[in-house]
Amino acid sequence: MCLFALFPLYLVVITSFNESGSLKVTSFLPTEISFENYKLLFNDERIPYLTWMKNSLVIASLVAVISVTIGAASAFAFSRLKFKGKRFGIQLLLLIQMFPAILALSAVYVIMERVYTFAPEIGLGTQTGLILVYLGGAMGVNIWLLKGFVDSIPVELDEAAKIDGASAVQTYWLIFVPLAAPVLAVVALLSFIGTFNEFILARLFLVGTESRTVAVGLQQFIGGQFSENWGPFAAGSIIASIPIVAIFLSLQRYIVSGLTAGSVKG
Amino acid sequence: MKKRLSMGFAATAALALTAGLLTPAQAATTVVVWADESRGPNLVKTLKDKADWVDGVEIEIKSFSGFDALKTAIDAATATSGPDIVVGANDWVPTLAKNGKLAPLTLTATQRAGFSASQFYDLTYKKKLYGVPVDVNNVAMIYNTKLVTSAPKTFADMVDYYKANKASKSLKAGLCVAGGGMSWGAHSIASALGADAYYFNPDGRINKSKVFNPNTLGENVKKYLLDAKKSNGFLPASDTGCKDNFLAGTVPFAIIGNWEWTDYTAKGFTMNLMPVPGVVSGQSGNAFGSVSGALLTTFAATRGREAAAKSVLTDFFGSAAGQVAYQKYEKRPPAHKGAASSASVTDGQKGFGASAAAASVPQIGAILNGSGKSYWDSLPAYWTAVLVDGKDPVAEAKKLATIYRNNLRAAVNDI
Amino acid sequence: MTFMLRGRVAFVVKAALLALISAVLLMLTQSAFGQGQYAIAFFLAVAIILLNFTYFNKRTVPLKFFIPGILLLTAFVVTPILYTLVMSTFTYKTGNYISKEQAISRIQALAIEPDENGSAFDIVVGTYQGQSAILVSDVLNSSYFISTQNDRIPLDVATLNTDENGVAQGASDFVATASEDISGSEAAKLRFKFRDEYFISVESLNVGVVYRQSLEYFPNVDQFKSLIGNAVYVDNGNGNYVNTNDSADKLEPGWRDPAWFSNYLRLFQDEQVRSPLISVFIWTVVFASLTVLTQFSFGLLLALALNKPIRGRRIYRSILVLPYAMPSIMSILIWGGMFNTEFGAINEIIGSQIAWFQDATFARAAVILVNLWLGFPYFYLVCSGSLQAIPSELMEAAAIDGANPRQIFRKITLPLLLQILSPLLIASFAFNFNNFNLIYLLTGGGPKAQLDGEIAGATDILISYTYQIAFGTNIQDLGLASAISVIIFVIVAAISLYGVKKSKVLESFS
Repeated sequence: MCLFALFPLYLVVITSFNESGSLKVTSFLPTEISFENYKLLFNDERIPYLTWMKNSLVIASLVAVISVTIGAASAFAFSRLKFKGKRFGIQLLLLIQMFPAILALSAVYVIMERVYTFAPEIGLGTQTGLILVYLGGAMGVNIWLLKGFVDSIPVELDEAAKIDGASAVQTYWLIFVPLAAPVLAVVALLSFIGTFNEFILARLFLVGTESRTVAVGLQQFIGGQFSENWGPFAAGSIIASIPIVAIFLSLQRYIVSGLTAGSVKG
Repeated sequence: MKKRLSMGFAATAALALTAGLLTPAQAATTVVVWADESRGPNLVKTLKDKADWVDGVEIEIKSFSGFDALKTAIDAATATSGPDIVVGANDWVPTLAKNGKLAPLTLTATQRAGFSASQFYDLTYKKKLYGVPVDVNNVAMIYNTKLVTSAPKTFADMVDYYKANKASKSLKAGLCVAGGGMSWGAHSIASALGADAYYFNPDGRINKSKVFNPNTLGENVKKYLLDAKKSNGFLPASDTGCKDNFLAGTVPFAIIGNWEWTDYTAKGFTMNLMPVPGVVSGQSGNAFGSVSGALLTTFAATRGREAAAKSVLTDFFGSAAGQVAYQKYEKRPPAHKGAASSASVTDGQKGFGASAAAASVPQIGAILNGSGKSYWDSLPAYWTAVLVDGKDPVAEAKKLATIYRNNLRAAVNDI
Repeated sequence: MTFMLRGRVAFVVKAALLALISAVLLMLTQSAFGQGQYAIAFFLAVAIILLNFTYFNKRTVPLKFFIPGILLLTAFVVTPILYTLVMSTFTYKTGNYISKEQAISRIQALAIEPDENGSAFDIVVGTYQGQSAILVSDVLNSSYFISTQNDRIPLDVATLNTDENGVAQGASDFVATASEDISGSEAAKLRFKFRDEYFISVESLNVGVVYRQSLEYFPNVDQFKSLIGNAVYVDNGNGNYVNTNDSADKLEPGWRDPAWFSNYLRLFQDEQVRSPLISVFIWTVVFASLTVLTQFSFGLLLALALNKPIRGRRIYRSILVLPYAMPSIMSILIWGGMFNTEFGAINEIIGSQIAWFQDATFARAAVILVNLWLGFPYFYLVCSGSLQAIPSELMEAAAIDGANPRQIFRKITLPLLLQILSPLLIASFAFNFNNFNLIYLLTGGGPKAQLDGEIAGATDILISYTYQIAFGTNIQDLGLASAISVIIFVIVAAISLYGVKKSKVLESFS
């Protein structure tokens, strides 16, 4: 089982130490260990790897935090508050989530191009613009993940708060959020991972070498017109996955309980 | 309410003031160029050495993270944020022109004289030229002198060598394609066996009706590449591992691209380059030579920069001096004749130049991209069908010929 | 924090925040309007109104929670969906890409022809007696003249100062324009008199080329007429101007034309499009179902196995989670390398020569296997947590009643698990139905019998097939791809809504 899980990752590691830069593995034990690829990552002037990591971390963190805030608030509203059209609303959200976004790329590109004409700070080519686009999908995705948990919080708590004179907003911040902290952390993490690895939108938006994210920057090695250089790509991927794996492992406990908490009712 | 309104007004007023202050008169016309992840940085370095190629014009380079990223971006670009010039593959020209993204330019006779006619073929669509050739990409066959003592004269020589030495020298294959893939790089093999993508009349124009003879191709494949119904191991159907095997000495012949020759010289190989020998002595397979072009977009005209952009194309990208300066960093063979003879021509580039002069065909996107099945997908499918799936070479060749014929017919008006 | 303060202070803080946001949005609306982006300006204006209305109103409590989310959703998710819907009713493909006005102006710009000699001259752009003009040096024929829009004034070379190549640099009454101003000047767009119907236009900053117009556009009848022959080109209702005598003679570029339902009809009528669509659809459903099944079963097995505290459980858990944490692009590409016929690790381990990606069945098996690797950690975690969430009293009670472990599992554990996890199972099905990344990076949709004209490969799922149609190398048919997207959506929506209804998930929402 563990071999199954680990084997491909082992290959990635070997590739990163392989100087020739090819994906072919001739033997299972590396015949030569060379740090060429890692050196390339940090020393080549065309590859500001650390800047890319910083960009990725900043964008992914901002998106994670804001999207969880939006998602949590929406999930709370849909679960706790009574209003007309609630059922219709959640179904609509589900449907919107499922639409195959083939032309989404062109549409979003055109929108942000136009935004650039009057607001260059948040239009095409800026990190802020990209963050806004990522946040577009925040509500739909996170509601679905969070709704189960929100339902599991006993309604009595809410009613007790109401008796004390708290408004809905106050209930949300004072009672719900502290209780939901582990789940929210998990959702934030999932959002972080997703954003960190996203490169299709990012490579169109963040073109300049200094403003790229790691996912886009690594594409350089395998996206060339005539060349493919798997060594640095593997090395870069490994380093890029370290922060994710670290967070993941440290939050393991939360993840297990968070993903399913509240799915069982009473 | 009041507070908010007044804040809003104050903000708008501030914006209006700053907007007024922030639009100085433009000092120079700026021409924006989009390029991929290797050309872009090299162009930036070139411009750092010398920036005043065109009087009063500033050239700005935007580098994308990859070739695909560049293609996706130029497909999506509109006049709002698109470039004035894009440095891209020549087979983008027909599609981008049809989509109204490229604008044509006309070169003077002097300017045209710097290039060979076939280079313009690559960048022409419906008799209009859409860019200037920047550098040449071609492939040639290299042989390992440690294994093969003299250049093979016919295709049979190579196959016989492979069969004779397969066991004793533990050869993994006889001829493999290390550069250009099984459609572009392998064209020279298909051509050596009798199946060119298209044919030219003696006057240099495309023959609009001739397609290869499928029986010839099928029979040659049976004779040289197959043993009973299976592949005899001489030609692998994919290019995976070819470069590594050739460098390791387990494959005697390989087709390599001129963009990678430094990798081979670094490992100590001499550039014994030649075209792929044909089945008859004295004939050889035609290799694709294509050019990368600096293409002019319609966005330049929309933004009132067309004349400046065209000057950048003729005085920098398409000039001998410009190409010499650029190839100093890019290290590919320049397309301009003046540049090619004066640039620091290395052995590798000389070898490719000689091989191209002997047997090369231009890459004509209008025919190759096709209307239904493109050449790019079809030729590799042929290799897979006959070398891996064991299908009948002649029957599959007939299907291939039909595809070529359809593409030629559809493109007849476009070339 | 805001909610700790009561009354006035809270209100002031809220008002200030809202004022700031409104001010910024107002600024943006103004600039958008100023730049002609009316749709965006309108959206922003509506946003300002909605935000202020929501947050200052006591009755719109639920809206306060999700109005930001909805605004972002509308801007970046709903708009592309609407765009796709609209585009599905257009003929929108390579060659019919831009709008009609743009096409007309492109055709006019392209409808110029050089003369028989391809004449081109060195020029200096400037003004002559106040009008835009060019100073032309035809060095080959030793002819020098100044050309304005309406006149051509010959000059005597003796009166001009020429450079070493014989190109005139200046003349009396002629003022040259500075280099950086030429491109944007009027002169760059004018046609200067040459002879008969031929004119000189500014090609680059110091070169002028002789052209004549070959087509003329008549807006009142919406036709192009050839000035050289007799051809007349009319709008064929399908996005092109076509020669009335020869339907194969089309003017390029064409434009995207409303075609209403013809894209949809094509889906049903065109054999070439319909038959791959059906087989791809079947495989997509099979793929998504098998994926969910294998990932869930495998994850569940592991969860059950590691449910009991054994030594090193923590370590196993950490390792098992790693596939999920690694960037999937990297992992998929490595798996692709592992399946390589000659050099791949899989064939080396098994000792076989299976052409994984050239054979339809093996390719499909490979795809399922890789997806299993990618997704089982998620289900392992989820099942793990769920198993712990099931109250143990239920199982103990059953054991006391004499049920064996197998029965307990089948009758109690499994149904409860399915009930808990059904939203996640549905979500996983929907996700894998559209799992473009995996197919694209691993097999590219193959294997395909290209020479036989197959368009869809054996492992193509609906979304990768649609992607090929939309962004493939030859003809990019975005209209058709949009239509397919809409159809996929309708099917997936139906399935998911059915699944949601069946699992009674929505009950929790009333």
